[in-house]
Parts: sequence; C-alpha cells; structure tokens
Amino acid sequence: MPPTPCAICRTNRALILRPKDHSKLCKECFINVFETEIHHTVTTNNLFNRGEKIAIGASGGKDSTVLASVLKTLNERYDYGVELILLSIDEGIKGYRDDSLETVKRNAKQYDMPLTILGYDELYGWTMDQVVEQVGKKGNCTYCGVFRRQALDRGAVRLGVKHVVTGHNADDVAETVLMNLLRGDLPRLSRTTSIVTSTPSASNDPNSHTNIKRSKPLKYAYEKEIVLYAHHKNLDYFSTECIYSPEAFRGSARALIKNLERVRPSAILDVVRSGEDMAKLVPGADESCGGACSSQVPAAEEEEGGCGSSNGRNAGGKMASMEAHLAQNEVAAENGLEIEITMNGVNGQRHNRQDGGTASVVNGKKGRAKGQAFTPRKAPKQQVMGQCKRCGYLSSQEICKACVLLESLNKNRPKNHIEVSSHMQEETNGEVHNVTRG
Amino acid sequence: MTDQPCMRCKENAAALVVRTEPLCRKCFTKYVHTKVIKRMETFRVRNSAPDQQRKILLPISFGVSSVILLHVLDHHLKNQKAKTGRTGYVLIVLFVDTSSVECLAQRENLLSQCQERYPDHKYASAPLHDVFSIQSPEHKSLLGLVSEMDLEPEADRTATEQLSALMKSLTSATARADVISTLRTRLIVQYAKLTGCEGVLWGDSTTRLAEKTLAETAKGRGFSLPWQIADGASPFGVTFNYPLRDVLKKELVAYAELSEPTLLPLFNDSSSNTQQPSMSSKNTTIDNLMEQYFESVEENFPSIVSNVVRTTSRLEPSQGSASESRCKLCSMPVSDGRFGIHGWGGDQQDGLENLSAERSHGLCYGCTRSIPQAAASRNLSG
Repeated sequence: MPPTPCAICRTNRALILRPKDHSKLCKECFINVFETEIHHTVTTNNLFNRGEKIAIGASGGKDSTVLASVLKTLNERYDYGVELILLSIDEGIKGYRDDSLETVKRNAKQYDMPLTILGYDELYGWTMDQVVEQVGKKGNCTYCGVFRRQALDRGAVRLGVKHVVTGHNADDVAETVLMNLLRGDLPRLSRTTSIVTSTPSASNDPNSHTNIKRSKPLKYAYEKEIVLYAHHKNLDYFSTECIYSPEAFRGSARALIKNLERVRPSAILDVVRSGEDMAKLVPGADESCGGACSSQVPAAEEEEGGCGSSNGRNAGGKMASMEAHLAQNEVAAENGLEIEITMNGVNGQRHNRQDGGTASVVNGKKGRAKGQAFTPRKAPKQQVMGQCKRCGYLSSQEICKACVLLESLNKNRPKNHIEVSSHMQEETNGEVHNVTRG
Repeated sequence: MTDQPCMRCKENAAALVVRTEPLCRKCFTKYVHTKVIKRMETFRVRNSAPDQQRKILLPISFGVSSVILLHVLDHHLKNQKAKTGRTGYVLIVLFVDTSSVECLAQRENLLSQCQERYPDHKYASAPLHDVFSIQSPEHKSLLGLVSEMDLEPEADRTATEQLSALMKSLTSATARADVISTLRTRLIVQYAKLTGCEGVLWGDSTTRLAEKTLAETAKGRGFSLPWQIADGASPFGVTFNYPLRDVLKKELVAYAELSEPTLLPLFNDSSSNTQQPSMSSKNTTIDNLMEQYFESVEENFPSIVSNVVRTTSRLEPSQGSASESRCKLCSMPVSDGRFGIHGWGGDQQDGLENLSAERSHGLCYGCTRSIPQAAASRNLSG
C-alpha cells in the first residue's frame, strides 16, 4: 500500500492522525493548522490589543509551554504588537514545582521573555506542602485553586499587567462543563464557559488587583493536539501531574471526557459548544439586556476549582459530602411538606413526627425552599460582587474565599500574627511562639 | 436486611432499603406510586370537564420504566374511577417498532399481553418508518432532508426505503442511536397530534434524565435541554411530562422484582442490566457511556443524580424560541439561525462557503454531527 498523502498539502506523507477530526496530516501541515486555529481564536474574539502587555501564566507544563511558544510565533508572524512576559506561581510542592520551575526558567531564555516567580509562602505565608500537612490530602486542591487564582492577579499587578492568559484547553473547559452539571452549579457553568473573564474593579484605585482581564487562547485546542504540537516542535516542558489527586467531581468528569473522546472525537468540542449555549439559558444570565447582548464580559471566578490533574482515583471526598447534604435536604423537604399540609388544619401547632421544636422549624424552612422549587424556573440568587474586607480582592462575600481559608489555617498554627491586647498574654504567647518555632 | 422492620408501617419486615430507609414491599409500592401520582396533579379528575376526555399518549418500549409507568397509571385511573365515577384522562399506549433499524431481542406479542393485563386503554403499534408517511406540517422538512442528501434520487421511494437510506448514510453507532431516538420522538409527537392527545407521558426515571442531560450535552445538544428534561410545554405543540422523574432506575428495577403478580413477562429481554457493556469503542454509543456512568453514580450518590435533573430543569428556553426556525431533523428551535457546526468560536475555519451551505441544510449543531454527509456532499461538489 502506498503511503497516505497529507490531507492538506497532498504532497508529504501523512504522519499524524489529528485527534480532533481524525484527518491524516503531515507534520508541517499539522503545526500550521494548529497555529492557525489559535490565531483564529485570538482574532475572532479580539483577545489582544496592540501595545498591550500580557502575562502568560506559566507552570512549565505542556499547556502553558505551548501557549507561550504559539503566542510568541503568532505575535511575530501576524504582528499583534503585544509584549509577552511569563508569570509563574510557586505553590511550594516539593518534587513537583522545583523541577517545573526550572523548566519555566529555561523557557524564559528560549523564548526571550522576562519571568517572574511568586511563591505561596511569599503571598500567603503557607506553602502547599504545609497546607497538606495541616488539612490532609482531601480538599487541598481547593486551597491550591483559590490561592492560585489570586496569586496570578496579584503577580499581574506587581508587573503592571492588565491581562493574564492561561493555558486552559478544550478538555479543561469540557471537563468543567460536565463537572458543574454534576454539581448542579448553573451560575458557575455559565461563567466558566466564557473565553474572556475579568475581575471588574470594585474600587477606583488603578493599582487595585481586581481589574485584571483573563483569557484562554487554547480554549478550543484539544489536549492531545497540544501534546502533539509540543512533541513535534521539540518544546521543553515538564510532564508530571500534581502529586495530590483531584477531588472526585473533577476526576469523575475528566474520566468521562476521555471516554467520550474515544467514542466520538468531536465530543470535547461538542461539550464546549453545549456549555456555551447552556450559559445563555441559565436564569438570570445576561438579564440586564434581556439575553440579547453577548458582549458582556462575565465576572471571573473567585474560585476556579482545583488544578487539572488527571486521575480520578479517589472516589470519595466532595461527592460523598454533597450526597450526604442533598440527602438530608430531601428528607427535610419531605417532612417539611407534610408539616405544611397539616398546618392548615392544626393552625400553627407544629408537631414533627420525629422530634420536637427545633427540627420542625428547620424542616419548615427547607420545606418552603423545596416548595418553590416545584414552581418551575426559579431564578438562582444573584451574586453581588464586592470587595473582600481583608485583602480587597473581588468577592461575593464580605471576606473572600482565600482569606477564609487562610483564617482557618492560621487558627490552627500558633504564630506571631496573633494579636493580643494585654501585655501579660503577649508575654506568654511569645513564649509559646518561641517554643514552637524553636 | 430482612430482619429489619419497615420504617414506615413498623409491622412488616423490610424487603429493601430505599435511600437509607428500610421498607416492606407494601410501603415501597406506595412510595413509588406516591412519587408518580404527585407528578400527575394536572391530570386530576377535577381538572377535566366531564363531557371532554383528556387524552394522553404513553409511548411504551417494554423496558422496565415504561411498563411500570403504565402499571402505576392503570392503578391511578382505577382509583380515580372508584372515587369519582370517572377518570381525569384516558391513555393511548403506543409502541414504536424500531426492529428494522436496530437489533433488539424483542419478545413476541408484548403489546397484546399488555392489553390483556390493562384492558382499559387504547393500544397501537407503529413502525419507525411511519415517520416518513404520516402527513404533518413538519413532515416535508424531513423528506426534503433525505432527498437533499441525494442518497437515491428517486422521488417515489417508500417510507421503508427512505428510512433505510437515511440509516445507511450514518457512520457511527452514536449517530445511529441518536437518529433513531430523534425519529422515534418525532413519530410519537406526530402520532399524539394525529390522535388528538394533548401531551406525552415519558417513562424516563431520574437516572435516565440525568443520563440524557449529560449525553445531550456531549452530543452538542445543550441548547435543547430545557425542552428535553423539564415538565410542561414542548416546542412541538403538545406537552411533555415525566411522571417517573423522582424515581431512580434501581428503584424501578426493585419494583419490577417485587411486583405481584409479576410484571416480568411484560419486559423485553434486552433490559439494560443484562446488556454487555461492549468495550470496543466502535459499538459503544455516547448513551451507553452515560448509562454506565450513572449506574455507578446512582449506586453511591443517588441524591447527586436527582440534583443533576433538578438543576437542569431550571434552564430556561431562550426567549421567542417558539417562533424561531426549526431543525429539519429534530424539530428543535435553533436560536439566531445557528444551524450546522460552523461559524462559532470552536469552528476554526474561516471559509464562509461551508457556513452558508451548511446553514441552508437547516440541521442543528447536534444533528449535523450525526449526519455530516448532508454538508459534505455539498462541499465536495461545490
């Protein structure tokens, strides 16, 4: 059998089975197609402005390395006129970050881009290894994700950058769509499908770190193609997964995405499309303009889940706790409905069959909530974005998620940060401090 | 397990544990019936005028769910009749025969056995290819689609030939399953209108609706989910209701096993449980994947399954969707004329020829994924 020619140039021998559509391409055409598609994403979404300084969130992994390489190539080829720099966050995970940061440092030389590395310890006083030591391996991805989100924005401010691009790929976005369906989180589903997000400034301070634009130029690029591109371009990247496993929802969604891709290669893209379409159907989304304008930039996530690590080996954690919570609600709702019916007759004399006063109040409340759910199309409550009172970061709560997490961490570690009013106590505290430090 | 007393009646021994509650056979039966009848509130006797019978269509596949739905509703109607002397609705039971396009171990005479057991309802059977011959306003678009695909240029093909030509053009197991279920839904809606039914009662369990949510998302049909999961108006002029939406699949299986007299002879052999999950991805469909996935989720996390369905039911159809143009295959309203798989962020081709050719085919994103030939044939010739 003669070698199959490339489906595009029809001259070279096809060596690559393109993951996205299973077309057979030669190396040059594949690289060209891959780059052209990213260029297409950048231009049709007007991601960049001429003269803009853009920080690439770089981890040394395949996604951000490919992003840096492609953006450098495209910036030169199509003259975007943007200034590209690298920004790395050191979570403080021994054996994971040490090596990958070395990779980023080499990348900085290879691509001739300035690099800044910011550590969690520098920003929060905690490395991830220390966090894990304290909270265990369950749920540590939440800390990591929350801290990283802010870390990039804080880093961007230090560098005087208003725009951060990240290496999120189509697999990541599809995974997030399925994960949010599984978690029943419609508002987040609608926010995370957007290619551009921003943390709109809640203050007038131009240096505030709440006014950073985020975008994902690789949003429509398949993970497998990113790996192929890195391989054929001989890119220097660090391939290891985070040693802490992902929480169950994400792990579960990721496994599903992989299986879907095997059955129908276009499925990843199809999930992304569904996610974009469904974002418009979430009640309250785009309400201000009657759903007509899609130009509105969604607010960025305060918390963007964990990292994209890929094995779903731990099956417990969040799924189990959410299950327990939901099951409790169901029981309460059922009892609550019964209470409401009997209330008509007994006129305020509430008697829960199982236990007394407090429970029936709680159940009554839950019952009403469920009662509303029966009338279809209840709009989820609108989040009002404000600023964290501690750190000034954009938050829907009074205290942002990072500060809440930090508070719980710090509570359990005697430290010199504890403020004490009386001198006596300060002395004793100081001793304790010395002991623990020493 | 049998040593435990039933948590509700406290008298009988529990036969199974339902969402942490040990229940006896009788209380479990009541539990399932209550969940279904709660969803049938709009069809109470007081909501129907004595001189005008409300008719609803119940499509039956002889799977566990649809047979149990018929069984419970038969009971419901008998109760209504006993209490008020009349019923709030009548049922028309329709079996769509897909044996010409998919291999199912179908037992003989299931429909007549059902009729014998529940004689108060009307029964009908229709082959899938009827979707090409029942005259309706939407009917033309479907014929147009098949002839446009240029499969066989003769205009006077029989409905059977049209169906098999369409099926032959599909290249994957997922596409075949997708098109069969789309055509089946179309036929059921056509039949409902033809027989004057105001709505369709679907047998989907909670688990099935959750499967459907993720499967349709994976097929690029996220836009049509509000019409596929929620109770109420459908875009087809009849209402859709899912009375089993609060019952898990494993609960239905348990109900079937505990039924007395047994319902087992009414099921067809290929009940989902015995199906071998074929691991060759060639024959696996997206629906299979989701079925396997939720089978495992349902085992340990039943409330998460219900939560998926509850959440998805809150999606709102886009405004003015009733007047929007429809997909020629699935008949779903497509917002802003976004037909085809080109011309959005995820489409990386700049060519506008693809776009306009594809848009003119009038297939939605999901249907274009299943029937790419329609677009391809144009592109090659043009």
